[in-house]
This record gives sequence, structure tokens and C-alpha cells, in this order.
Amino acid sequence: MPAQSNSQSVALQLEKVRDKIPLLYERDDILLTLIQQRGDVEKVSSRNMRLPLQINPGGKAGSYNADGGDLGRGAGSSYDVAQISPMFFKFAVEITKLVEYATNSREQAIENAAKREVANGMKQFRAFLDKLMQTGGNGVLGTISSIAGSTFTMTTPPGAALVYVGQTVQVYDATLTTNRGTANVTAADPISSSQTITVDAVPGGTVANDVIVHDGLSGASPTSLFGIKYHQNSATTGTWLNLNRATYPVQLQTPRVNAGNAALTPGSVRLALNKVRKALGINQVGKLIAYTSVEQEHAWENLGITISQIVKEGAGGRASDLDLLFTGQKTMSGVPIRSSINADQTRVDFLDLSHWGRAVMKDIDYFEVGGQTVFPIYGTSGGLAAAYIFYFDTGFQVFSDSPRSGSFVDALARPSGY
Amino acid sequence: MITVLRETHHAPASVQERLARAGGRNRFGEPNFRVVWGWSRLGWIGGRWTDHDADGNTLRERIELRLEPKYLPFDRWHIERWCPPEMYGTPREWYQRTLEIEDGRNVAALGPYPSRGEYELAFTLQGPRGEFVQLTPTVVEHCARLIEFARGTPRRNARAALYEREARAERDYDAWAFDLLDDAVPALHGAPFVTVPALL
Repeated sequence: MPAQSNSQSVALQLEKVRDKIPLLYERDDILLTLIQQRGDVEKVSSRNMRLPLQINPGGKAGSYNADGGDLGRGAGSSYDVAQISPMFFKFAVEITKLVEYATNSREQAIENAAKREVANGMKQFRAFLDKLMQTGGNGVLGTISSIAGSTFTMTTPPGAALVYVGQTVQVYDATLTTNRGTANVTAADPISSSQTITVDAVPGGTVANDVIVHDGLSGASPTSLFGIKYHQNSATTGTWLNLNRATYPVQLQTPRVNAGNAALTPGSVRLALNKVRKALGINQVGKLIAYTSVEQEHAWENLGITISQIVKEGAGGRASDLDLLFTGQKTMSGVPIRSSINADQTRVDFLDLSHWGRAVMKDIDYFEVGGQTVFPIYGTSGGLAAAYIFYFDTGFQVFSDSPRSGSFVDALARPSGY
Repeated sequence: MITVLRETHHAPASVQERLARAGGRNRFGEPNFRVVWGWSRLGWIGGRWTDHDADGNTLRERIELRLEPKYLPFDRWHIERWCPPEMYGTPREWYQRTLEIEDGRNVAALGPYPSRGEYELAFTLQGPRGEFVQLTPTVVEHCARLIEFARGTPRRNARAALYEREARAERDYDAWAFDLLDDAVPALHGAPFVTVPALL
């Protein structure tokens, strides 16, 4: 029974690192894990998770005539229910036997190969999920502005920031109705101003203004992870967590400041923060973070208002003595900045993560069948191929129970050089 | 019972003078840097206000311009930096961007155009865990040195520094992940441990 013993042997080797997998993921340096660490995590079944929302306050306030006057009737609060169900995501890692054989010690070779691929795979899976968190819930990773051969120039935002080399993507038409087919990304340039993606083979019928979505989606108007642009949205049409936005145009609308392609200014930041303060109370911005791209963090620095970042990053240790009394945390008008290379390059989101959470059906871990987590690959002959495969998978969805508790500035100009 | 609604303070003149010497003065002869107390520093906020009671219930909605504390936390000292009026665009642009229309009324959401510039938050004096830091001469001296250091630090390499920080975070993750996975396997990767007397 050689095939059976081979696969079982490999599985045993990987079990050594199994219990560290969730830790590799739950690290407070990407938006998704920030939400996990500061927000709620709800374990859910396959049924929709229900989020009761107080849509409108109750009661009838007013003056009355105490000299026999009519006090009138009352009213109660009105509620509605938002609903979500988890999405499943996977990340497949495949290792050939050559990797296993290519070191001196047989035991360490297996451990090191597994370790390397587990670490790399988990890092890439984290990055993939974090990129999805930047989207509007439809899995769109970018929009093609022009095509030259097998190279797409992408519209910014998000440009080419949300794909990675080796990723399988699909091309849909601009209305997300027609799936034109799949392609593999062979090169991506999210840094320079060109923002290009090169694929191995352009799906037939692909034209400018088509969009790129991640692998695994199907049908018209696909649904994916509900990211920032889904929850922090000023639209008054469409749906939000199964609620019709048109029914509650004010309650479900996140306050927006349209920068109109102008550069980031203190005024636009203050407008966005004040919108939260006006809606929720004058002291309600203490929990906010300013989530933005590296570009807009740079734009904020270019204004020359902040000082603290010099202490932390620019001084090369020379100013460390100055940092003893101060947090040194970089802020945007007092709100701590968290920037990401995945974030929309033209946007600043003010998020109150205490209102965000994840509905989790399956925590991130190995995909497992009957205790086995590593599976053999079969060759075309039906025999074993000299490789094996394992998967990470997770099933969850992201929710916010108060879209009005944040605000955002969009349509910002990118600073020169980007 | 007397309830204190707002506790106001003003920084001593000696403090302001020390910061002015460190940061210089603007075109109007005013200091580029100054220190303000959170409750004392007010700013215009206009638009539709939703007022709540102590339990968070909505009491009323009003459309008006209010002077409210500009920075949080209210009970901290804040260092402000002067920003020139051109940073806010022209008056026309200012009102285009900040006018809000509520129930058919125009409200300047940030008040009038800052024709003499405006002071914006540079940093808040508080400890690493957000605790209160008093405005002592030592702290003021630290602030002044911080400002002087900042004036001498060029910003031209900021972009590269930001991307280097991101790359460093990637490397940190790699190192951390490998360390974490190392913890999951037996010490010395299960190799036998042999004491060699000659090396003792």
C-alpha cells in the first residue's frame, strides 16, 4: 500500500505546525485582524446571522398644558434586521517531492519545506483576504482602462494593488453580468504610476472597462467579502446586509466628503470627523482610526502639520530621547492613522471598529478530511504524482452594525510621484 | 451641587514664548506653534446636529453653527501648528467644499474662511497609554526640541521611508512566522543533545 503510507507520512510531518496556524493569521497588522481584535466575532451556522438594528428612536416629546391639556399619544422605537451569511475562501499550496528531497537531512527537509510553505501560504492568504476587505462586496479587484497585448492598464483606484503574481482571476464585463473567462496574473505593478497587470492569456472578448474579480465567483452580480466600500457607503440605492438602502436612506448612509480630485487638506479631514460628531455626539470620535493608503499618509505628511512621525521613523534613533513623554503615534487631526498598501489610494476612511465584527462559521485552518490535511496529487496515468497539496480555508463574513458611526473622504488626488 | 461643564485653561506666556522661539513666527507675526487646552480650543462646526441624552437616546435635531471643542481628548494639552490660508484653497473653493445644505438652508460646515490661516493639531501631550501629561517646564523643553528637530528634518524622502516601513513590516512578519513555526517543533528539531566535555 505505498500510496497510502506516503500520504499519511507527509501528513504527520505537517501536524507539527498545525496548532500555530490561527496565530499566523491573527496578527494585528491588517484591517481584517484589526476588526477581529477590536470588533466582535460571532460563531454562526449555515443560517443567516441576524443583526437587530434600532432604526428610529421612539417616544413623542413636547410641551403640554398641565391645566387639563391633552398629553397626546406615544410611539415606540422602530427596528429592522440586517442579515449576513459567511463566504468560504481557500488557499491551495502544492509542494513537489523535489522540495522535500533537496536538503541534507530528511527529517529537517520535510519540516523546513512545510514550514516555509505554511508561512508563505498563510501570508499570501492573509494578503488576499485583506485585499478583499478593500472592495465593495462584489469581488472586483480592479477595472481595466486599456489593453495592450496581454497587459492591462488598470484604473486607479485601486489600480493593480489588489492582485498578486500567480493569482487566478476572472474577467467580467463592466455590469458584472458576463463572465469572459479566467487568466493567471504573471506580473503586477501596483507601485509605479503605470499600474499594470500582465496575464498569461487574455480571455476572449475582454475590452476596456471590464473588471477583474477573484477566482471562485460565478454568475451575474457575484457576492464576495463585504469590505470597506460595502459598509462605508453613501449610496441610497441597492442593498446593505439584505436591507434596502432606499428604505433607510439616512440611517444606512455613511457620511461622505467628496474631495473632488483635490489634495488632502485639514479641512476635508475635519469635515469628515465633524460629520461623525454631529451625528453621534461631540465626543464620539475617540474610538476612530483613520484607515488610508500609504499615498494619502504621504499626502498628510506633505502638509507638514504632524511632527510625531519624525520621532518614530525619520530620526534613525537620534530623537528617541524626545519620545519619552509622548506616544509618537502618527495622527490625522488627532485620529490615529493606520495605513495599508492595499487601501484605496484616493480615500481616507474613519472607522469605529467597535461597531465592526466577523460572523465566522469556520476559523482559518487547514482544510481537513477525516483528520487528513495533506493530500496526494495524481498523475494523468492515475498513479501518484510526485507532489502533494494542502489547503487553508475559512468561512466568514464581515459586518458593521452602525454605518453612520464612521465617515470617509474620497476622490482625493494622489500626491505627485504616484 | 455645582457641575463643571467645561474646564478651561490657558498656557503660561513663558510656554508660548519658548515654543515661538523654537518654531518661529508666521507672516502675521504670530507663532507657528502654540499650546492649547482641549476644552479651551473651540472651532466652528455647522450642519445638522443630533443631540442625545446620557443614555444615547436622540433628543432633538438642530441645523445650526456651533462652537465646539476642536480636539479630543478635551482634558489634554495640544500642540498646534499654524497653517497658511492657501492650504485651505481660495474662499470660493472653501465655501464650495464646506457648504452643507440642510432643509434648504446653507450652512458653512467649518465656519468662515480662515483668511489669516488656522492652527491645526500637530500632536497631543499624553503618555504612551494616553495618560495625562502636565505642561511642566521639562515637557515644554521637550516640545521645543521636538519642533526644532522637525524643522531640520527634510521631508523629501518621506515616500521611500513609508514604503521601507511597509517592507520592514513584511520582513518582520516573515521572521515572526518562522519563529512561531519553530516553536511548534521539538527543541533542536528533535536532534539528540550530546554533552561534549572538551567544550565545557
